[in-house]
Amino acid sequence: MALLQISEPGQTPEPHQRKRAVGIDLGTTNSLVATVRSGSAEAIAAEDGSVILPSAVHYGGAEITVGAAARVRAGEDPYNTLISVKRLMGRGIADVQSFGEQLPYRFTDSDGGMPAIETAAGPVNPVQVSAEILKELARRGREALGGELDGAVITVPAYFDEAQRQATKDAAQLAGLKVLRLLNEPTAAAVAYGLDKGEEGVIAVYDLGGGTFDISILRLSRGVFEVLSTGGDTALGGDDFDRAIAGWMAGQAGLGTDLDVATQRALLDSACAAKETLAQREQVEVSHGDWRGTLDRTGMAELLDPLIDKTLRACKRALRDAGLPVDEVQEVVLVGGSTRTLRVRERVEAYFGRAPQADIDPDQVVAIGAALQADQLVGNKTGEDLLLLDVIPLSLGIETMGGLTEKLIARNTTIPVAKAQEFTTFKDGQTAMAIHVVQGERELVKDCRSLARFELRGIPPMVAGAAHIRVTFQVDADGLLSVTAMEKSSGVSADITVKPSYGLEDKDIARMLQESYAHAEEDIAARALREAQVEAERTLESLLAALKENGAELLEEQELNQLERAMEALRLAHNGGDVEEVRRRMETLNQLSEPFAARRMDASIKRAMQGHSLDEFDK
Amino acid sequence: MNMSLQQTYFEIFGLRPAFEIDRAAMAERYRQLQREFHPDKYASKSEREQLLAMQYAAQINEAHTTLRDPVLRAGYLLKLAGVEVSPEQTTADAEFLMQQMMLRERLEEVRDEADPAAALDELGDEVRGLFTGEQKHFAEVFATGDLEAGKDSLLKLQFLTKLQRQVEELEEELLD
Repeated sequence: MALLQISEPGQTPEPHQRKRAVGIDLGTTNSLVATVRSGSAEAIAAEDGSVILPSAVHYGGAEITVGAAARVRAGEDPYNTLISVKRLMGRGIADVQSFGEQLPYRFTDSDGGMPAIETAAGPVNPVQVSAEILKELARRGREALGGELDGAVITVPAYFDEAQRQATKDAAQLAGLKVLRLLNEPTAAAVAYGLDKGEEGVIAVYDLGGGTFDISILRLSRGVFEVLSTGGDTALGGDDFDRAIAGWMAGQAGLGTDLDVATQRALLDSACAAKETLAQREQVEVSHGDWRGTLDRTGMAELLDPLIDKTLRACKRALRDAGLPVDEVQEVVLVGGSTRTLRVRERVEAYFGRAPQADIDPDQVVAIGAALQADQLVGNKTGEDLLLLDVIPLSLGIETMGGLTEKLIARNTTIPVAKAQEFTTFKDGQTAMAIHVVQGERELVKDCRSLARFELRGIPPMVAGAAHIRVTFQVDADGLLSVTAMEKSSGVSADITVKPSYGLEDKDIARMLQESYAHAEEDIAARALREAQVEAERTLESLLAALKENGAELLEEQELNQLERAMEALRLAHNGGDVEEVRRRMETLNQLSEPFAARRMDASIKRAMQGHSLDEFDK
Repeated sequence: MNMSLQQTYFEIFGLRPAFEIDRAAMAERYRQLQREFHPDKYASKSEREQLLAMQYAAQINEAHTTLRDPVLRAGYLLKLAGVEVSPEQTTADAEFLMQQMMLRERLEEVRDEADPAAALDELGDEVRGLFTGEQKHFAEVFATGDLEAGKDSLLKLQFLTKLQRQVEELEEELLD
């Protein structure tokens, strides 16, 4: 074992060194980053002391501005000031055209069906815009923590489908962040509250942001947060409140419906200001051009109630999915800036029959929860043992004959989850088949969201119906889908080509990374090497710990020697600086350590079963 | 090797294979297993171990989902006993089928009632009652080892679940 401990000083991180981890709330309207420092989670402020970063990016020729400085340009330069792009994440061009009146951008089709927005700096897609916001947050994180980040937990609305999650992860990759986990926003909020107060029981998290609404019902039991159900609407939020108020103003001022972009923006800005004022005061004066008017709380309630009704219907549905009556909810937590609106609080309180909690700033609570989980995932012990058991928000299915969907994994199923389905061939000698994966609750494929199309190739030629192709759909803890396939009689694994319906393929991401390096003064080769080295360090560190724990017990001497040699080779490659060599050595080591990993897992399972199966069977 | 693949869902939770299960004990054991095997607990381990943890955690989740739901649990018990029930199969109990037809007719007429919500509530309660009764019946016949009667009972449970779902769907429609 002594051999294993030789390493170049300063080349591998000290095992006990505290890692730099952040939680990021990538919001529709605002974003922020938080971290755990000296035991408590807090938002990280920028140099000017502000914690909130408006989710706005301004493209002005060569210069890209992010945040408040970009947000103020929205009125004067609406086409080049991109706000609320979260609404476009993972969406196709047809979807965004239906937002046309709400988001006044010039869209073109590009990158695998994803919309591109024409700007002064050329076409950009929503993933790239989000990456700009993430880069700024990552910068704040690095400055505050004094070095490169080891990982980030990024939050997404619980109701985000697979394409929207994948788009978020792609944006993080473009921004150079290592994503530890995509975490659902309501779950993050529950963590921030639950850990804070040591709560037990059922919690409802009502999360109304700028552009999305989420409701989650969770059961908290000694540090385990089990999501029972989730629901919501990815196209409903405070922005819609603003639009309802702006629409009323336009009507009162006799402006008609066909308004230019600058007028729309001006109306929306005054509507938003009026809404915020009414959280403090009984009434507010509003004006547009020559028109002057008054809006009071009752008037606003009338405008907002139809929208709030929609959210309460989703609450009812979520409770039913959880199999709980409303009076079993012990705590209601408010998240999202739009829950500052008084009318929302009144209605939520009336529905749940108890006063909602909002002690933690609703703008910060999600990032704080994410920071707590990031700290745990990166390996910084925080004392409390925290575990999140989340669910998939929408059913996953495949297209069958006649354009019908067959559900494979039902919504609100706890993740990770794997389901296998068998298919067979339709014609003699058929060597390929196409599978269409959809997400949604409806029976017809056309009413669900198309996620991806898979082509299975390499099926051995047989008579029709003789092949048994077992396709396994796996959803990981981030809510992301992967698919594997195997023909059972021959054992041949079929090749799968995934084509996301609206999203980026790996090669698109590689190209965009390349492009962004062309702008930034960063060396792509140096970056690739650094990433490979970090991965090598992580692999060595975890294997070393595993060997120490039970290497002697689970490995033959020869196996142990082989592993040690492969580790030494990786260590040398790591210090050498040839990226290909690092990758090759890592691949070898990974393959060699596979049986060890399997034996360790088996040993863990045996240990977990001990003292259980026996005595409980004999009772 | 690979004992995770050999375990039955009941073994995973340390339960004896019967229809009546201690749900509280299962929930507690579920959380305990996830504390150990959830991918988050393997975040700093090797990629291979992360993958294995995800697969086992997925199996724990599948076991939990199956045993928690009475119909899935009944189907799984029969499967372990070598009896496969396909979704296309149906019960031959004429009296039961007649009762189902009448319930379905009532469901279709709910909208025309003076108070549709109240009528639907009443129907929902009735279906729930039938469902609970059939579960008891399944538990009894399965315990005696009468697999044929168990299969027939499962087919009825599937009918009633479908009806319950239709009641819920209508509830939702009335809500909107």
